[in-house]
Amino acid sequence: MALLCALVTAAYGLVAAGVGASRRFPEFVESARHAAYGVAALATVASGLLVFAFVSHDFSLKYVAENSTRDAPLSVALTGFWGGQAGSLLFWAWGLTLLAAAVAWIEFHRHRALIPATLGALFAIQLFFLGVLGFVAGPFEQLATPPPDGRGLNPLLWDDGMRIHPPLLLAGYMSFSAPFAFAIAALLTGRLAREWLAPVRRWMVFAWAVQGTGLLAGAWWAYHVLGWGGYWGWDPVENAALMPWLVATAFLHSIMVQERRGLLKTWNLGLVIATFALAIFGTFVVRSGVLSSVHSFAQSAIGPYFLAFLGVVLVLSLGLLFFRLAHLAPEGEFDSVVSREAAFLLNNLLLVAAAVATFWGTIFPLVSEVVRGVKISVGAPFYQFVNGPLLIALVVLMGVGPLVAWRRTSLASLWRNLRWPVLVAVAVTAVLFVLGIREGMAALASAATTFTLGTIVLEYWRGVRVRRRTTGEPLPVALVRLVGRARRRYGGYLVHLAVVLAAFGVIGSSYYQVERTGTLAPGESMTVGRYTFTYGGLYERPAPGVQTIFARLAVRNDTADLGEMRPERRIYRNWEQQPITGVAYRTVGPWLDDLYVLLTGWEEGNVASFRVFVNPLVSLIWAGGALFLLGTLIAAWPERARVARVHVPAARPIVSPAAPAAQAREVVAGEV
Amino acid sequence: MLVALAAAVAPAVALADGHDAGRIEREAQAIAKVLKCPICQNLSVADSPTPLAAQMREIVRERLAAGDSREAIIAYFVARYGEEVLLVPPRTGFSQVVWWGALAIPIAGLVTVWMVLRERRRGTGAATFASPSTPAGAPAGTPVESLTEAERQRYEALLERELERLERRSA
Repeated sequence: MALLCALVTAAYGLVAAGVGASRRFPEFVESARHAAYGVAALATVASGLLVFAFVSHDFSLKYVAENSTRDAPLSVALTGFWGGQAGSLLFWAWGLTLLAAAVAWIEFHRHRALIPATLGALFAIQLFFLGVLGFVAGPFEQLATPPPDGRGLNPLLWDDGMRIHPPLLLAGYMSFSAPFAFAIAALLTGRLAREWLAPVRRWMVFAWAVQGTGLLAGAWWAYHVLGWGGYWGWDPVENAALMPWLVATAFLHSIMVQERRGLLKTWNLGLVIATFALAIFGTFVVRSGVLSSVHSFAQSAIGPYFLAFLGVVLVLSLGLLFFRLAHLAPEGEFDSVVSREAAFLLNNLLLVAAAVATFWGTIFPLVSEVVRGVKISVGAPFYQFVNGPLLIALVVLMGVGPLVAWRRTSLASLWRNLRWPVLVAVAVTAVLFVLGIREGMAALASAATTFTLGTIVLEYWRGVRVRRRTTGEPLPVALVRLVGRARRRYGGYLVHLAVVLAAFGVIGSSYYQVERTGTLAPGESMTVGRYTFTYGGLYERPAPGVQTIFARLAVRNDTADLGEMRPERRIYRNWEQQPITGVAYRTVGPWLDDLYVLLTGWEEGNVASFRVFVNPLVSLIWAGGALFLLGTLIAAWPERARVARVHVPAARPIVSPAAPAAQAREVVAGEV
Repeated sequence: MLVALAAAVAPAVALADGHDAGRIEREAQAIAKVLKCPICQNLSVADSPTPLAAQMREIVRERLAAGDSREAIIAYFVARYGEEVLLVPPRTGFSQVVWWGALAIPIAGLVTVWMVLRERRRGTGAATFASPSTPAGAPAGTPVESLTEAERQRYEALLERELERLERRSA
């Protein structure tokens, strides 16, 4: 019922926003704003009811019966909310209503001209999701005869990671609606000057951060729970989540070209539209099971609706874009191939190419099935082959780009900026070569990453040096104040630094993973890399609903005792055919080796078999993830000064032909 | 089922005698890496923890020990499970489309960007840069080059000034 009310309210909101926007009736706009709050409240009630059904084990609801059991702990029962298809769609829609309410709350007075159309677009998206929930795949379907107990959630989804990463990704997908809605509003109203840049960017950063966190949490979950020794499998669902993030990353860079130079307007709007379309496509892939994947826990008939919606979105928004092309003329020209603009353009090319190539690989099995009737697989090696070089190029560009001036730079001055990082990279690569890092791609990738690390450190060093010279502050204070004063710039560099850290982790674990399998009787040992594992026996730990069997392994390296590891297998009631691997993991040593141990089976006499990985540097990926969050927070944190004078349009020269002025503005790239 | 899995792993260890065993093990691992586990989606047979993948690894080892070639073993699995069992499509027949497409995408992008840049620069006064014979933008003998030391100093002075300004504003 709450869902239907929400649907009606959203429909009303759409009409009100439409009337308010076209006839300039402020009361209707005001009313649309209240409708946004109303829909959010109603969707919250609907979600609350579903949560209550899970908590109270109301198995008369089909959805609850399928996704929960009587003895499931509270947290697992709550995970059931988004563990299935209908619930996850409700979660998406609920998030969207909250997002629309937040947009109405935050932006209403700042962007009066854009807000009616923005809310209208958000209401239209809400209508689709609430419609699907109300008429096609609702979570409130009743069972005639409630079963005594539910079937329960797939035990793979019992982990803590499951409580974090799917909601984050769903929230990420959903959040791309906000920048899209602002872009549509700008196109509808024809207000395509500078006004829409700030809100689109603000909400894109938000969605991008949520989606990025979701991707990281997903990688964490895959690594620590799925138990195949890796964190990213290029699974269709992972690809679907990655693509909008890549395109959003491209947008966050190219938008700076528009802010600064008034170029790439059509392109930027295209990126916003593409991001949203990919987000819908991602939700569709996750939830329709059209591309078979490890995540297709739920399959149903919502596919056609999503495809139709996607088609409507693309046709309408691209049509609008085409209609407004005349308003999107660039305000200047590209002056040089060696300029910040060109660097951003190349960045966009690489990111979008990676997204398109990923898309191509993801849908190719469908293409093959349609054309030849033969199902084929496009697995991880394809994506590594295609995206590997693109990502290395991107890392190099990340080092070069920030050192290139706007408009044009001479190669000589560029070289002077780059020479120290280049020398450091060459030296480090030579040292690594001596140490045994000789694989071509690994050496290339680590050289590129070291170079970029060097340029980022150099950028910080320059800023700090200038501050110290003017203020005489001690180094740490200067560093903190520097970041605090130009947040967008130095926060952005922190994100770059995070990418560099993660890149080291990816290189280490892709090229220098050591893997062994072995079958041991109690007391026997196996050696993997520099580590020795001595098997101490098999034990059992009973608990309601799940039986856990674990092995004890004593670990040591050449010099020291590293303690005990306990890989386990869990057998859940109702899911006996699918025992879950409990990975034992630990990070040790100077190379940050991840010891990663799986118990793969056992036989009579406590003889057990193990699969052991030594994954160097993986923990750097998680460290990079934390830094990514920190950098994003710093870059996106609203500045007090700006909040205080929100209503005053920034009187800043947009384009100035004089090179010194351009450089002056380059210095404050962080705060436009 | 766990016992069956363990039993499937055990003979592999028993088989490991003589220096041939190491070669077979490496080759078996390499073959398992290019086969997709048919029931687990996007995991190679080498990586998959399922009993089916363990059985497939065992078949690979047995056939290698019996003297079969890598190609024959892969063909055997393709005949049994269809082309889907290959983790990546072969670079022959229709499937090469996916590989060519993957190569074409960045190249097409690069060409587009290059054309856009040329288009946008045409007819502008960028005389020192518009020479088509120096595509990478190597501006021979531009006055910019001689300014570089001054440029650096100006950069630092500007940075200094900007930071001061920011400081004042937020104070």
